[in-house]
Parts: sequence; structure tokens; C-alpha cells
Amino acid sequence: MLTKLSGGRVVDPATGKDGVGDVWFENGHIVAPPFDSAPHADYDVSGHVVMAGAIDIHSHIAGGNVNTARLLLPELHRSIRARLSGTPLSTAKWSTFETGRIYAQMGFTTVVEPAMAPHHALQTHLELADTPIIDTGALTVLGNDDFLLRMLRAGESENAIIDYVARTVDATRSLGLKCINPGGVEGFKENMRVFGLDDEVPFYGVTSRKIFQTLQRATQKLGIHHPLHLHMNNLGIAGNIDTALATIDAAQGLPLHLAHVQFYAYGKEGKNGFSSAAAAFAEKINANKNVTVDIGAVMFSQTVTISSDVLKQFNSLAGAIPKKGAIFDGDANGGGIVPYAYKVSNFYNAVQWIAGLELFLLVDDPAQVFFTTDHPNGGPFTSYPELFALLMSADLRRQWMERLPAEALEGTLLPTLTREYTLNEIAVMSRSGAAKLFGFTDRGALRPGAIADVAVYKDQRDKAGMFRKAAYVFKNGQLIVKDGETTRYTRGKTLRTRPVYDTAIERRLDGYYDDLYGLPLSVFDLPDAALPNFDAFAEVSCRQ
Amino acid sequence: MSNASLDGKSISIEDAYRRAAQILAGAKFPLIAGLGADVAGARAAILLAERLRGAYDHLASGDSLADIDTIRSFGMFTTTPNEARVRADVVLLIGPGLAGHWPGLFERLALDKPPRHGANAGKPRKIVWLGPKRGEGKIDGGEVKTIAAAPHEISGVLAAWRARLGGRPVALEPAKVKATDALVSTLKEARFGVAVWAAGAGLDALAVEMLQGLVTELNATTRFTGVPLGARSGAAGVNQTSGWMTGFPPRTGFGRGYPEHDPWRFEAGRLVESGEAAAALWISAYDGEPPPWGEADIPTITLAPAGAAPERGLYIEVGRPGRDHDAVEFAPEAGGLALRPAAAPSLRPSVASVIAAIGAKFPEDSPC
Repeated sequence: MLTKLSGGRVVDPATGKDGVGDVWFENGHIVAPPFDSAPHADYDVSGHVVMAGAIDIHSHIAGGNVNTARLLLPELHRSIRARLSGTPLSTAKWSTFETGRIYAQMGFTTVVEPAMAPHHALQTHLELADTPIIDTGALTVLGNDDFLLRMLRAGESENAIIDYVARTVDATRSLGLKCINPGGVEGFKENMRVFGLDDEVPFYGVTSRKIFQTLQRATQKLGIHHPLHLHMNNLGIAGNIDTALATIDAAQGLPLHLAHVQFYAYGKEGKNGFSSAAAAFAEKINANKNVTVDIGAVMFSQTVTISSDVLKQFNSLAGAIPKKGAIFDGDANGGGIVPYAYKVSNFYNAVQWIAGLELFLLVDDPAQVFFTTDHPNGGPFTSYPELFALLMSADLRRQWMERLPAEALEGTLLPTLTREYTLNEIAVMSRSGAAKLFGFTDRGALRPGAIADVAVYKDQRDKAGMFRKAAYVFKNGQLIVKDGETTRYTRGKTLRTRPVYDTAIERRLDGYYDDLYGLPLSVFDLPDAALPNFDAFAEVSCRQ
Repeated sequence: MSNASLDGKSISIEDAYRRAAQILAGAKFPLIAGLGADVAGARAAILLAERLRGAYDHLASGDSLADIDTIRSFGMFTTTPNEARVRADVVLLIGPGLAGHWPGLFERLALDKPPRHGANAGKPRKIVWLGPKRGEGKIDGGEVKTIAAAPHEISGVLAAWRARLGGRPVALEPAKVKATDALVSTLKEARFGVAVWAAGAGLDALAVEMLQGLVTELNATTRFTGVPLGARSGAAGVNQTSGWMTGFPPRTGFGRGYPEHDPWRFEAGRLVESGEAAAALWISAYDGEPPPWGEADIPTITLAPAGAAPERGLYIEVGRPGRDHDAVEFAPEAGGLALRPAAAPSLRPSVASVIAAIGAKFPEDSPC
């Protein structure tokens, strides 16, 4: 069906468009305006903003740790309204079904789950398969796994490590690699309570630095588009800006993605010994174009922190709100689930809120900085519209600053920052830049040939309202959201990449699993028979 | 011979699907219980309950909830059986009949062999068993210190350990205090201790919480964690599926069109005995375990393997997950969901496919 969106303000940085125009699509793809055909459906979207569907590059939406959080906190997600017909479980709060519905209503059509444990990949994929409408993908976590640490201890060749990395990414059907407190989680099993960039993993004699650099090189050699996605050491600790700056220095000039950097933008200034170090961090990011970051902004709300940085999460238990938590020592990383409430009246939370916004506003290139709250760690993804609004309005930020403890603002730059994100910059961050970061060539743009994932927002002064409920959202050209309500489900695809490797590594892994666990490697595999959506995977090709 | 029956008399499978659809679609508040199924079966059952605005419960929810209640009221330290196998230097077994809850337990934990990783790699493990059955506390190749306790005494013993760990007095005779202190020293000196328990072995939520309180306090100075063996009939996998689909474990109802979880209100036996449930779909695909209630005067549909047909009500035979058909379920040896390829493939239908067949026979005006 040939569809035309007429007269909207088309904001599409990938094609350089920012002005009134039409968008045409047919058979699920964007098409050039035809010369001789009339559209079967013509939507008058004058007074609206038309963008490609948004891409969330880092949001914990699936997997065993997310599910533990659901079971840990029944009081946080009581449902309140019945669903509309045709959308089963879409109002079951915090269900995968609700996740797909709400993302779609905000105009998001692709979401990446950033922490899939290789031994629990099947559950992650089953949950993603039960997340309707949106396309998904996941990153595989390595860096605290015995097999890799053994290889490093033995000084094995880069090629052997590359085969292992590629095999793991391929077998777990993911988009690339994440590394979470490299070595630190293994160290926690040996009772280490802090772990820095140059600390050695007990019994392996390798440092965090070496682990992440190795995985960073492996990712590049394999041609995986997404650079190593690194959750650094010392998350959340005063003075951890030093870790962040040293990590960027250690990046060898190679592409590196730093996750939820707000949680590393802390100095030790002020009488509480806790301050925003966002300015120094942003300066470093601006000077190192090989580095991309997502923010992990803190929004004031009750939430829950879900992380495979088990060491950090254990240390957070004492401050849990409400006072409970789950600590899972996994086969490699595991997970820690600790609820928390960010309060506007709390000095530390206010500094975190400030640091996140400062990073957004001080990093010059919107293609280098990505939009996240590290859902749900800094705040739930449902708070994105409020965050967009904060970035787009210095006045709104000023109103919020009036509510913060005065001492939190001392020595910060935020009150002086007048930058306001334009719609085009928002679109770079959440569309074109995000697609580039993962090597998606078929989305994040409204160019002919791209899949017709399109979000249409009613232009209004209330930017949060604008982004909370899209006027129309089309997924693969099908209308699935109208006036902010999801009218039906479609089935999304799961995106994966398939690096090439020497299959000899599988025989070696078989021997390793048999020796250590007395199990075949295949116990952890994801054959088609295990996946209800085995026919709904799409491949993102590696660089040649 | 047909694989469906009504009050013990064989009927055609098409007839069975049609009658099942009539019963479920006609019930004001249907109950889907048993739920002994693989992930696909649980998923289909929960979607059916949602569609019909009924409720669902699992036959072993009582056991599962001892662990889940501990998580949601206190918190929990856990690890995988495989991490315990490679790293645990002190293993604390709790309660009787652990191997009955998972026959592969001791092979998986490899207690007769030393741990491979960590500070005590290569050294024999220290094994303590609190409350084994008589004659049970022996493991080939491993030395086990047993401490006798009936299931109802376990939380009291753990409380005494916890008190001594915190340096608090306990009202025990001096010799017992000494023995308790020695035991507590063993726990404190662990470098990576692991407590193994099965809620189904008679531990209630307070006992599990007492254990987790002890584990939490041990983590102040060393590392200690736990391996819960969970409950029977696919409970762990069903709980996970229920979690991502509705946010809650079983004992969840959809009367208002959205999920509400209430362990009392949506307990299957209570719903049947109180007359609140107007019809029941009982699923027990692993072993044909019958419902806990006696004569129910509500229409009941049973999905169970061959040989488990009830004398009354509608019965549809299903295959055993992982035996008759491939099944994703919680695999304790993997510490998570895994595919179990069919061990003896047959044409017996899966729970998911039977529910799909019933759903296809619903009257056109029924909700969806």
C-alpha cells in the first residue's frame, strides 16, 4: 500500500532534511516520491514533526536479571487499567508486552538490551520474542568469564581470542560485545570489594585494562560494527572521574563505547566530598573522537538498579530503597538487583541529575553522545520524554534547579549552560547516530530503501507530551500507534551480527566444558528449536 | 484408541477440543491450574487465562512462594549449581531429601571433588548437612558433618548460628554453644560458601529468610551465597515465564482485565473450594499429578500424559515435555532455561498445541 505523510516538518539528519515535506512509503520501505501514482493512504501531518523511528541503544528490557527485578518488586508495578482489544498483556506493568507497547507509543522502533549473559542467552531471547512491535537486539557480556581470563593468563594468540569472541557472539545471536567491570566481578567472587583499572584479577594476573583492550581489539578485528560497549570500573564512586579519564587514555585510539557515563562523572570536591566532574569528562570526550558515550541520566523517581556489575551492586545493598535486593554470582558476570529512589531533595541524587545534564550539554557532537537513562538504573525509559524536554529547554532546567538543594549547584556549570537541543540534534542522538553506532543501514533514516519505521509527533510547546505520545507510529509501514495509543501488535525482528571464525574453537570449548562442568557446550546453545521467533532474526553484516 | 475422554469414556479429539472451548468460554471465572508445563505451555496457558479473564496457579506455588516471598520481602544471594561446583569450598546442605528434589544434584555439585577455582582450589570441600533424613547424610568420596534437625527445627538452628555469628548469646547448654561456635567458624572461614536448599523439603518462607539472613551477614567479611533447588513440575521455568509476561509469579488473576497477584486470593484450591472458579483447566504434563482438591462440582478439563485420565470430567492426553517433544524448561544443570530435545519423540501433542486447538474453537464473540 502506497502511503504518504503530507506536509509535516521532516527532521532526518541522515539525509540532511529539516523542513516541511512529504514522506512516502510502500511495502514496508521508504520510497522516493512517485511521479505518477496517487497514495492509497494520505495522512495530513501538517503541524507535526516526522522522524525515523527512534533507536534506544542501551535499555535493560529482557533477561534473567530484569525478571528477578520484576519478582523482587511486585509493589512497584501494580497494574491499573485494562488493555485495549487486540493487545494482550499490554497494560501488565513491566511485562515485556507493556515494554513493547510503551516504546512504540513514544516512537521508538528499535531497542538494544545491553547485557546478555552467554549462559542465559536463551531467556533473554525468549523475553525479546515476547516484546511486541519493536525490533530488538542484545549485546553479549564477556570479560569476567573463566575461559577468556585463562586465555589471557596463558598469553594466547589474538587469533585464538578472536575465535572465542566471534563464536560467543554468533552462538548467543547478539549484536556485539559488552564488558562489565572487567575482572572486577570475578574479583568479587574472591572477596574483593573494590576493583580498579589496573587491579589484577586474583589467580589470573590480568588487569581490567588488559581485558577490555583485548576485547576492544577483537571487536575491531572481527568487523563488528558496534565498538566494545564498556561498563567501566568504580561505577558510582566519588572521584571515579579519574577512572573514566584513564580508561579513555587506555582506549588505544580504537573505537570504544562507554556506557552510562553519568555514573562516572564524579569528583570529590565540596564539603560532602562528592561533585560533578562532567566538565572534565566532556572535554575528554570532545577531544577523543574514537569514544562514544551514553549518559545514563538520573531522573527523580523510584526505580531499581539492574546490573551485571555484581561487586558494585553488592556495595549498593546497604542503601537500597526499599531495603532489599538480590545478588547473583553467575557463571561469569551474574547480576545484582537493588531498588533505589532518586530524590530531588537528596544532595547526591541532585549532583547526579546535574552531572547527566551537563554531559549532554557539554559534549559538542550529538553523534558522540546517546540518549539513555540506562533504563531502569537512572530512571525508567518512560521518563525519556521528560529528559528530551529538559535538553530542549534551559528554562525548564532552571525551574527544576530551583527545587534542588542549593549546595548541589555550588561549583557546577549547569546554571550557566544555555544550550538547548534542537529537534535535529535530538534526531541525531536517537536516530541517525544510533543507527551508525550499530551499523544499521536500514533504519534511523527516512531515505528511500530504509524500512518504514516512522514516528510522527504533534509539534507543541510541551515537549514531554509531544514525545510521550506520538500522533502516529508506523512499523515496517504499518500503522501501529494512533493518537498515542497502540492499536495492534506486530512482531518485531531480533537483530544480530555473525562474525566469521575458525570452528576449531568449538572443539576446544567442548573439551573445556566437559572438563570443568562435565557438560556439553550445547547445553547453553540456542538452536532454532528453542526459539519461537527463530525465523524473525535479521542480520547486521560485519565490516569487510 | 482415542487420546481424549469424557467421564472415562473415549471421545474424539475434535469433540474434546470443542467441549473444552465451550466449558472455558462459558465460565464466568475460569481457573487454569496445575500448570505443570514447559515454557511454551505456560505461555499459552497464561495468555489463555488473560483472554478469558480467569486466574492461573502452579501446582507447586506453595513451595515456590517460600523462595519468592523471601526475595520480595528480604532479598536473596544466589549462584548457579555450576559456579558452586567449580568454586564452593564450604557447602551447607539444608533439609531432608535434597536429591529427591533434583536427582542430579550431587553429581552436578561434584562434592567428592575439590573446587577448581578460588582460594581453596584443589583442597577438599567442607560439607555440612543440616537436617538430613536418617542415613542420608553421606556422600561418596566426601566427608559430611551432619546436624540433626527436623524440618520445623531448621529455622531455629539457623537462628542460633546467626546469633553466634553476630556475637550474641543463645540459650543453649555450653557444649552446644561450643559446637555451634565451631560450626559458625567453618562458615566464616569459607572463601566462597554455598548453601543449598529446597523449599519443597518443608522450609517455609521464614526458614528461607533466616538462611538468607545468615548468608547476608556472612558476606560482611567473606563470600557466601545460595543455590535454591526450587519446586517440581517445571515450576522454575513457569515462574520465569509468568514474570516476564505479567510481572508476577503464578497465583495471578485477570478479573479486572489486567494482572493482579495475590497468593491467597488466586490459590487454585481455594478458588475451587470456595466456588469462585466456575471451571478449571488442570495441566500436569510432566507426571499427571492430580489436583489437590477432592470432588469438584465444576467442569474440569485435564491435560496430562497417558495413564493419568481422571474418572470424571474431560481429559486430553498430552506428551511429556522433553520426552515426547522438544521443550524449553528450567534446566538445573544449566542454571537457567535450556532446550531439552525430545528423548522419545512422539506425535502426542504439547500443552501449547492443545491450548491453541482449544482456542481455535472458541465462539466468535468470545474476547481476544
